[in-house]
Parts: sequence; structure tokens; C-alpha cells
Amino acid sequence: MTRTLYHKSGVNYMSSPLRQWNQSESNLLMNRLFVKKSLTICIAGLLLLPAIIAYPVFAQGKSAPAASEAGKALYIDKCAHCHGVEGAGDGSAAENLLPRPRDFTSGLYKIRSTESGNLPTDQDLFEVISKGMPGSSMPAWEGLLSEDERWSLVAHIKTYFEDFEGASPRVIDLSGKVPYSEESVAKGKEFYAKLGCVECHGALGRGDGTSAPDLTDHWEFLTWPANMEHSWNYRGGSATEDIFKRFIGGISGSPMPAFVSSFRVGLTDAEAERITELEAKDEMTEEEETEYAELEEKAIYYEDIMLDIEEGKEVTADDLIKFDEAMKPIFEKSWHLANYVKSLGSEGRPPAAVGDKVLRSQYRLGDLPGLNDAAWGEIEEASYFPLVGQVVIEPRQFNPSIDSVTAKSFYNDSEVAFLFQWDDRTKTLPQEDDETGVTVEDAITVQFPVKVPKSPTDPKPYFIWGDGRRPVYLWHWKIAEADKISEMNAKGIDNASVQESQSQIQVGGVYEDGRYRLWVKRALKTEDKNDLQFEPGTFIPIAFSVWDGANGDVKSKRAISTWYTFVLDPVPSNKRFVYPPLVALISVGFLYGLRGGVKRRVNTNST
Amino acid sequence: MKIQVVTILTIIIAGVFATGAIAAGEGDAGESLVFPASYKAGSVSNGGTITGTVKFEGEAPSMKKLEITKNPEVCGLTDKLDESVVVGEGNALKNTIVYLMDISSGDGFAKDKKVKYQIDQKGCQFNPHVQLQPVGQRLTMLNPDKIMHNVHIFSKKNPAYNKSQPGSRRRMPVKAVKKAEGPVAVKCDVHGWMKAWIAYIPHPYFAVTDENGVYKLENVPPGTYKLGYWHEACGTNNDAPVSVTVDAGGSVMQDFSLSLKK
Repeated sequence: MTRTLYHKSGVNYMSSPLRQWNQSESNLLMNRLFVKKSLTICIAGLLLLPAIIAYPVFAQGKSAPAASEAGKALYIDKCAHCHGVEGAGDGSAAENLLPRPRDFTSGLYKIRSTESGNLPTDQDLFEVISKGMPGSSMPAWEGLLSEDERWSLVAHIKTYFEDFEGASPRVIDLSGKVPYSEESVAKGKEFYAKLGCVECHGALGRGDGTSAPDLTDHWEFLTWPANMEHSWNYRGGSATEDIFKRFIGGISGSPMPAFVSSFRVGLTDAEAERITELEAKDEMTEEEETEYAELEEKAIYYEDIMLDIEEGKEVTADDLIKFDEAMKPIFEKSWHLANYVKSLGSEGRPPAAVGDKVLRSQYRLGDLPGLNDAAWGEIEEASYFPLVGQVVIEPRQFNPSIDSVTAKSFYNDSEVAFLFQWDDRTKTLPQEDDETGVTVEDAITVQFPVKVPKSPTDPKPYFIWGDGRRPVYLWHWKIAEADKISEMNAKGIDNASVQESQSQIQVGGVYEDGRYRLWVKRALKTEDKNDLQFEPGTFIPIAFSVWDGANGDVKSKRAISTWYTFVLDPVPSNKRFVYPPLVALISVGFLYGLRGGVKRRVNTNST
Repeated sequence: MKIQVVTILTIIIAGVFATGAIAAGEGDAGESLVFPASYKAGSVSNGGTITGTVKFEGEAPSMKKLEITKNPEVCGLTDKLDESVVVGEGNALKNTIVYLMDISSGDGFAKDKKVKYQIDQKGCQFNPHVQLQPVGQRLTMLNPDKIMHNVHIFSKKNPAYNKSQPGSRRRMPVKAVKKAEGPVAVKCDVHGWMKAWIAYIPHPYFAVTDENGVYKLENVPPGTYKLGYWHEACGTNNDAPVSVTVDAGGSVMQDFSLSLKK
């Protein structure tokens, strides 16, 4: 009797067939299994019973309803502006967006719970519509459209790609999840370096790998590797499961490949290493030849099953069980990797520097710390300033690549020092921009008003480089002159000038592992009336402009912040010794006076 | 003489049609190969041969040296040149696909197991630059570099493919595709300069010109066919293929003279 088989394409090949018995895609399988009543299969099924119990069944979620006119109308109303009337990702707004809106006619979907080369599930599409894509222009429609409406959109966008018809994508098995632990993170870190993640994502995961500057997507638009510290920008969510799915299945249409192929299925680590070692030899001895042939045979056996599955061919249940087993160690390694990547990110975007998070310069006796001093670590949490693209004035930046600046500050009786940091995937020295031919480079300005508003309700200068009535005072730093800051004044974005007399400002700027660190130290007071004078206890507005040369930033095309607040903490030390004795003295004086008065009155009365 | 006239006429006609196609906004459709609606593989008796040379018309552009932006210790051992136009002695144009557009039955693909469909990535360069890959057959990617590459195949009709091939994997099989397509680009995103082409072909009557610009289609069943070409930088003759008649056991010569698109 032949071992009957079932059709692969409907089934999650990473999990055992019976694990999925409640899923609609496997109805076909169920029919085959029970209608045919194949004895072999029944036995196989019994053998698999523990597996059913041991592994939770992951629901693949709902399926989309049939495409409807209502779904189409909703699409035209809500989606077509970006995704185009024909779904080709070419709506009227598309040109100004990066990442570009998805071209639904390509069938390439970034966020999938499915294997490489597969379409997403309906549930995947529903999730993206509902939750949006952080770090892109795709909003979350959850609160804006009803569940039924969102499902009607899923059904509609599927009509743009014919392969959705009858497709039953293979879902990545998440059942072997390795819990988060320091040990798992440490293992994952090793794979991170070994598997080549570092090529694009950089040594510390900030998206600054050596391949990063040249990356383009399927449509030849510029694209960047994720900065894993800024995990709030992950398009498909930052849960460990999300990271695992992107690693195993890749991100379709982007340069991110599926990494499941990094491992040799069916070989132990030692065997895989041995095979690589033997392959690297120019000539093998007879013994080695035999050894190699044996290892290859073993590897090819599993590789063939994998390819058969990928090609939608039929695979015997027996082979499938062996294959599932052989995949387990690969999945385990991948979970370690996912745990490591998870460890790099923060839980959500940090809160902006408002309220109790405002930038406070801490008073310090004696010298202020330099660029690389450990003393900066005394300030545990840097203040976080979110940036957005400057879109008010031409040329605009609709797609800023730098999303934040952080700052710390110390001051003493005569000086104030700052440590600013921002992540930039590329270090761009002055160079001609490919598109515009204009010279671009990485730079920043730190902006203060020349005169601090007397009260918080008084008007501040215009947030982009001031206005005619209220000029701003700028520190302009650029990578080409990393040890220098130009003091500038501006009365508007097109009306900035370098000050004729420059104050003594000490500067240190470095670029390392995808991050700029800029250290600035100035005297609290200067002679120049066009400089800001730093006064302890005063709330001073502060704002930033950052240029990423590699992103075409130049002049007004840049990332900017709104006004935030900076304050030099009131000096506690002197006042502690001045005010209490003063109060005591006054009190004593008052009491003494009182006593005198009373005495006089008593004396008067008695006379 | 006759061949030259035909060639010149072909170019003129192709030019006129190509302009029309671009004007009509169909420029993109002209970039692909033309495949028969169906193809039946069987045995061929008394087949003929079509052969010829493809030449580059005009002054050959010099091959630009590619900037090796990473892994110079592996990728930079030899100069890497932009292979979009490779012109040899006597203006011979390499990497042109010449093929039969409308053949509906004929030979199957070679059964010989020694025929290996593979692309080498040695030194961070794809070799060959144009790969003819039969539909239904697996491709093997070779990586002797000991550094990571990613195999990114920009298919449209077939599922796009993008998998990592770490330095430890010398050989990585790539799944077979179901539909004739292409040529589609294959790239390595890790080394942005690496680019080649894969044509997924449904029958064996395709050839890629060698460094002498020579192609050869063998064992062609007698009959009259449309002979097409495709070149990365010179485009196609989809709008005006050359008609060739193959006699039983006979041999036909057909040369082409190509110039850059637009």
C-alpha cells in the first residue's frame, strides 16, 4: 500500500499535519485522511497524537469574505489616494511617501506570518490594515473603520493579484518559542554576528551596516535596514514573534531575505561545520570524499523535502515527520536570534522631553565632563526630542531618516556642557547628492531664542529658525568640521547668518556604530548681545534641526523638532547657606522689635 | 549581403515599432521574452540548426569599473566591470539571448544529469551574467566566497525569491518555478553591484551568445519560426521578429546587429 500523501500547499509544513485539523485550509487534508481511511495515515495520526497535545494550535484567524462593491468603494474612498485606483501603489500622494505605499498588483507583502515565497494570510492583511505600519505613512484603521469594513478591504485588495485565488499559504510555526532569557539572548547575539545580520543592520543593530547605504527595494526605491534600538518603528510590530517571523520568512519586496536558509536542515552543527570545512578544501583525500558524500546525501535528503514543499509537490507523511523534527533545532536557533534582537529595542517610543522629562542641566561643582567621560552616566535617562520632516517651506522633507535627538547637560558656576546624540545610518561627509547635484552633508543645529520669553505664555520665536521680531541663536555643527561650532543668528529659515564674533565654544563630535555624539561646552555668560545668556532657574526654549546628507537633506529639507524646554537646575548649594540664616536673622530682628514695642507699651501703660 | 539587408530592415522596422510601443506606453512589455502559449516536448528527428553572430552596432561603450564598496578582501581581488554591454573582438556582443518565439513542440531539455543549472557568485560577481533556467528545474547557487550573499530574484509571474546564503553554504539549491518568465533580475543586496539575469524558459530553443557573439540553436524541427532576441541594454525585437525557415537536417545563418535602446 502506498503511503498516502497530502497536498503540501495547503498545510503548514513546519508543523505536523494533524496539528492543524481545525483550520479551514486543511479541510482537503481531513477529507483525504478520513474518507480514504488509509490505515497508514491512521497509525501516523495516532503517533502524532502527543504532538497535538504538546503543541498549542495556532489559529490562522479568519478568512476574508468575498470581494464586494462596498469594499471597492471603501478602498477608493480611503486607500486609493496612496495605493492608487488600480492598486498599483501609485496614488496621488505616493510620490511623497517613503516607504512607498504597497503595490498590491505585485503580490509582495512585507508583513506575513507565512514562509518565504508565500502570500500573506487574510489575517495578516487584516492586522496591517487594523494596526497600521509604524514608521511609515500607513495609519491604523482600527478606530476608524468597523471590523466588517476592514475585512471588506482585505477582500478587495486581494483582487489585485490573481495568485490569491485558491492560495493557501504556509504559515510559520511559532509553537517552539524559546522564552526570553539572558542565556537565549547571548546565543542569539552569536548568530547575529555569524549569519550576516551585521552586514545591513550594523554591529549594534542601528541599521548602519556596510551594505546599508546602497539598499533599494523591489521597485528600486531607497530603503533602510531597521534600527533595532528604535524597535517602535518596526512595520509589523516589535513582539518577539514578529521578529521571528521576519527572520524566518523575510520581508517581501525589501532586501531583507529569509534567513531560514542560513542553516543546513538535517545536519547537526558539527556535521554542517564539517561539510563547510571539506568544501573549502582544494583536494580531498579518498576518506574525506566518502565522508563528504555521506554528509551530502544526508543534507540533500532534507533539502529535497524542503524544496518539494516549496514547489508545492507532494511529500510523504513519513518524510514530513522527519523533516519537522529536523527543523526544530533551526527554529530554536532562530528564536534565540529573535530574543537577541528583541533585547536591543525599547518598549515603545520614549516619552518626549516634556513635563517631568524636560531637559535639566544638573549643577556640578568643579570641571564639567568631557565627551567621553563616564560622568555622563550619572544622568540615567537622556531627554528625548522627537523629530519630524520639515514640510512647511520648500524644499521639504517628507521622509526624514532621523527620528530623534537625545540630550544630557551639566553646568557649573561658569560653564554649561551638553551631550547630544542622534542615530544616523550613514556618515555623510560633504558630497554631491545623486539626485539634485547639491552638496549635502550630515549636520545639526541646536536652537535657542536670543531672548528668553519672560513668562511661558509669552510668544516664542517661530519654531523653524525664528522670525523678524524674535531672532534665534543657533549652534551649527557639521561633520566636515567636527571640532567646531558656528554661532549663528536667524530671523527665519532663509535669513540666517554666522555671527561675526564667535564665542569660545568647545566641541567634540564623533560618529560610531550608527550614532552621532556631539559634546558642546560654553560659558554661561558672553559679551555678545546676540548670544543666549544661560541663567539658572530660567525655562529656556530649545529646538533642533538635523540633516542626513545621505537622505538628500540640505537647507530647509531636514528633520526638525518643535520647541522644547531646557532649564539649568537652580543652584542648591549657595542658597542653602544664605536663606535660612537670613530668615533666622529677620525673625530674630522682628521678635526683638516686637519685644521692644510691647515693653514700651507696658512701660507707657504703667506710667 | 542578403543577411545584411534583412538585418538592417529588421532594425529599421524594430525601431519604428519600438517607438510606437513606447509612445503607446507599452515600453515595458517589450523587455520580456515571448513564450509560446503551450509547448509539447517530444523527440525530434532530422532537426536543423540555426546559428549566427550578434554584433554591436556603433562604438561600443566602455565597461565601467564597478565600485567595490565592501568586502574588498574577497570582492576586490579582481576588477569588477559593469557587464550590461560586453563587446568583444569584431564588435561581437556577448550575453544576448536568441530564441524561437513560437515553437509549440520539439525537443525536451537535456536529460543528462551532468547538465547543471548553476550560477556562481565567486568574487562577488554572478557567472553567468545571463542564465537560461528551464521551468521546473532547480537552480544551484554557488558561494565559494566564505562571506554572506543573499539571492534575490525579482520574479513577477513566479513568487519572488530572497534567501540568505551565508558564507558557510557553498551550494544552495533554489526551488524550481512553474511559469516561463523573464529575464528577471537576480541581485545580491549585500553587495549592491552584483546583478545578473535569469530567463525561466519553457523549451530548449534558447541560446546566449558567447564572447564571440555566437549563438546556436540545435535540433530544431523543420519549419518556419519567429526568431527573437533579448539584450539587457539593447532591448528586444519582439515587435519585429525575424522569420527563419529550417529545412530537415539543414542549417540557417541569421546574424543580428544591435544598438543601445532609445
